[in-house]
Amino acid sequence: MNIDNIFDKTYYWIDDNARRTSLALARKLSRRSFLSRLGMFIAGAASFPLLPVARSFAQESVEEVGDPQSCEYWRYCAMSGTLCACCGGSYTSCPPGSEASPITWVGTCTNPVDGRDYLMSYNDCCGKAVCSRCGCHNTEGDKPVYFNSNSSTVLWCFGTENTSYHCTVSLVLGTTD
Amino acid sequence: MAIALFSSSVFAASPRINYLLYCSGCHRPTGEGNPPNVPTLHGELGSMMSVNEMRGYLARVPGSAHAPITDSELTEVLNWILVEFNASTLPNNFEKLSVEEVTEARANILANPNQYRIDYWKAYDFSESSK
Repeated sequence: MNIDNIFDKTYYWIDDNARRTSLALARKLSRRSFLSRLGMFIAGAASFPLLPVARSFAQESVEEVGDPQSCEYWRYCAMSGTLCACCGGSYTSCPPGSEASPITWVGTCTNPVDGRDYLMSYNDCCGKAVCSRCGCHNTEGDKPVYFNSNSSTVLWCFGTENTSYHCTVSLVLGTTD
Repeated sequence: MAIALFSSSVFAASPRINYLLYCSGCHRPTGEGNPPNVPTLHGELGSMMSVNEMRGYLARVPGSAHAPITDSELTEVLNWILVEFNASTLPNNFEKLSVEEVTEARANILANPNQYRIDYWKAYDFSESSK
C-alpha cells in the first residue's frame, strides 16, 4: 500500500463521515432549531464581554482610551484620592465591601477619543480602611475648600453608613453639549 | 458676529448642566437629595412657591447664594428645578422667578434658613423617617 493510497482512504473516510453526520443532522433538526441555537450563540457571545464588569451605576456608552489604573487616564482630570481601579474595583464600581457615597463633587473632563466634554461625578467609596495604591491628585476645575461643593480635596463620604474613605470612582453624568 | 454667536453658544451652559455641575453633587443628579441631611428637591418646593415670602428662599439658601454662577444662570437653574421636579405641586398661577427677584434675594443670604422656614412657612422634617 503506497502513501497516496493511505491519503485517499483517509480523505474518503473524512468525507463520508461529514456527509453522514450532516444528513443525520438534517433529518433530526428543523431549520428553526438551528436558527434558535445560532441566535443563542450570537447573543451569548455579545453579552459575554460584559460579564466580568460590575456595573453598579448607569453609564452611557462612552468611548474609552488609556489605562484606568493610571492617574493620566482622561476621567481622572479632576480626581483627588486613590483610584478604585487599583483597589479591586474599577473606574465606575467600588471594591467589594465598600459603599459608594451618594454625595459627590462634580467637574468636567475632555475625552480625547471624541473631543467632547463630559460631566464627571467623583464618588468616594467608603466604609473600609484607605486603599493606598495609586494615589492621584489632579486639580482641573478644583476650587478651594471654602467652595466645598467644588473641592476635590474634601472627603465625600457623606450619607454612607461608615464614613471612612477607601477610594474614588469617576462616573459620567452626561455631556456638556 | 459669527464668532460672538459661536462663543456664546459654547459658554452658555443650559440650566440642566449648571444644575449637574453646581447642585447635583449633594442633591444628586435626579434631585432626590439624601434626606434629612440633604433635602430632596422634589415635591415640596412647588407648594413653597404659593407663599410670597418664600419665593426668594431658594436663592437665599447658602448653596444657591454661594454657587459660582451668575444671577441669571441661578434664576434659570431655580426655575428649571421648580418645573422639572415640582410641576405637580406648583400653584396654577405660578410665575417664574425673575432675574431681578433672584438678584435681590441672593444678596440677602439666610444665615439660618431653617428658622426662616419656620417663621414664614413650615419646619423642615429632620426625622430619619423623611428618608
